[in-house]
Amino acid sequence: MRVVLPGIGHWRHDLTHCLHTTMGVLLGFYGLDPLHALGAGWGFAYPAGDVRREEYYFPTVDRSLLGSLAPHHPLSSSWHEPAGAEQGWHDVREAVSGGVPVAVAVDNFHLPFRPAYSDVHTNHLLAVYGFDDDRHEAYVADPVPPRFQGPIPLAALAAARDSANPIRHDRDLFFTANPLANRWLTIHLDGPQPALDLDFVRAAMLRNVAGLADGTAAGAVLRGLAGQRAFLESALADLDAGEHRVDEVFVVAGAILAVTGLHADFLGAAARRLDRPALAELGREVDRVAHHWTALRIGVANARSRPGAEVPALQARAAALIADQERVVARMADTARRL
Amino acid sequence: MTTVDIRSTVATPVALTALFNNTGIAASRWPTTGAFNIWANTFPSEDLPAAGSTVDVGGVPFLFPGAPTGAPDNVRCRGQEVPVPVGSYDWVYALAAAERRSEDLVLVRYADGSGRRQWLRVSDFWPETPARFGERTAFHCGRMLYPRHSQPGMAPAIWRCRVPIAVPGRVRGLVLPDNPAIHVFALTAVRP
Repeated sequence: MRVVLPGIGHWRHDLTHCLHTTMGVLLGFYGLDPLHALGAGWGFAYPAGDVRREEYYFPTVDRSLLGSLAPHHPLSSSWHEPAGAEQGWHDVREAVSGGVPVAVAVDNFHLPFRPAYSDVHTNHLLAVYGFDDDRHEAYVADPVPPRFQGPIPLAALAAARDSANPIRHDRDLFFTANPLANRWLTIHLDGPQPALDLDFVRAAMLRNVAGLADGTAAGAVLRGLAGQRAFLESALADLDAGEHRVDEVFVVAGAILAVTGLHADFLGAAARRLDRPALAELGREVDRVAHHWTALRIGVANARSRPGAEVPALQARAAALIADQERVVARMADTARRL
Repeated sequence: MTTVDIRSTVATPVALTALFNNTGIAASRWPTTGAFNIWANTFPSEDLPAAGSTVDVGGVPFLFPGAPTGAPDNVRCRGQEVPVPVGSYDWVYALAAAERRSEDLVLVRYADGSGRRQWLRVSDFWPETPARFGERTAFHCGRMLYPRHSQPGMAPAIWRCRVPIAVPGRVRGLVLPDNPAIHVFALTAVRP
């Protein structure tokens, strides 16, 4: 039997990683605009210490993974945890046979088209949209450079999905030591995509602002600007004290960088669609916050060898990030009301 | 309407060698000698101008890093002060690349002791990623180097960026931002 689902395309935003690109591929399959869905939200909610060593980590609170990525859309997702590799492929094959492309967790070490092939272990995410039983192949879509879409040996995909994801050398960083366990994910559309109109944009902006302003700096879940400030301040203080939180900050910063960069471009797209230059200006301000996250994320990555020495620069960057974000959030509320 | 050609400029390459603190370029036969990023990726020297050569990028001459293999060849921005031959410039051009795109403020120092901050915006070096800030592509390599292999089809980029000297005056130096995501390979100050 051979099934290759039509309508699978490429989607990528340069500040995101495999989580958003894979979700973009799946949303695109159903005819949704990924930037509209994934870029409308802007917030911070982090269950303290929740981070996992996977490229597609995203903090989820109260919602599914896709629900957290697209809080203003009727979307959700479900993780599936099969008993083993055989059931893992059986279940994915069944879903694809039924016309449903899925996301699967993979270790890049086993995938011939990834630069990390036979080199670096990395817990990654991509889409599966077909298979050919006779040729023992699976069809995968992965927009992360080098972008790839097409068939690969089923044995390679099976090895990647069943990998223990070990740490073998000093470049097995951040996304290792987290066995893949054949996990896979389906997305659910619980309604049509909302129109990108003034009402939607205004409502999304006001909800985002409310979520950021109504923060929680203590407890099990850090929320909003207050929670983000508390996360950064405590993590950097711990780094200064010699605790190893480099990986946690790097991974969480990557998720928040993606959200921020997407929201900047969402505002830019809305500005063009709705002829509202104020949204474009706001988008540029959000982009500036994203670029702070770039600096902070790379700064903390380079702090692995001497974290204490890097703390003053990281604290200065975190303070500038928060100050700029507070300014743009204040402006956002005003802009939304004037739309 | 009469138009006047004012493209005649004087370009002054700025010495950066003493500030180099990162090795981002390596020979393909010996790819373990650099680490542009934490995964030790490097640009292949065979796809770039000869070390120490003067290279024209869109009409601006740059002194390409002249480091021997394995030696530092770019400035990872950590707030370094870059002396510039004192002069009245319109722009400072840079050959630069970032680990994910970023923007930050450069402090332009004037001979009279004053200073003005100006934006430096640098796009991602990562393959298949277009310029975000309208920069000219200076170099697109044909592959990227990893410590254990060379990856064809992964084409990292170095961009030609520019920082305006918006306030006229005699410039004596630049203070780079403390932003480790931004790497600068060469600088050239330009005046009419």
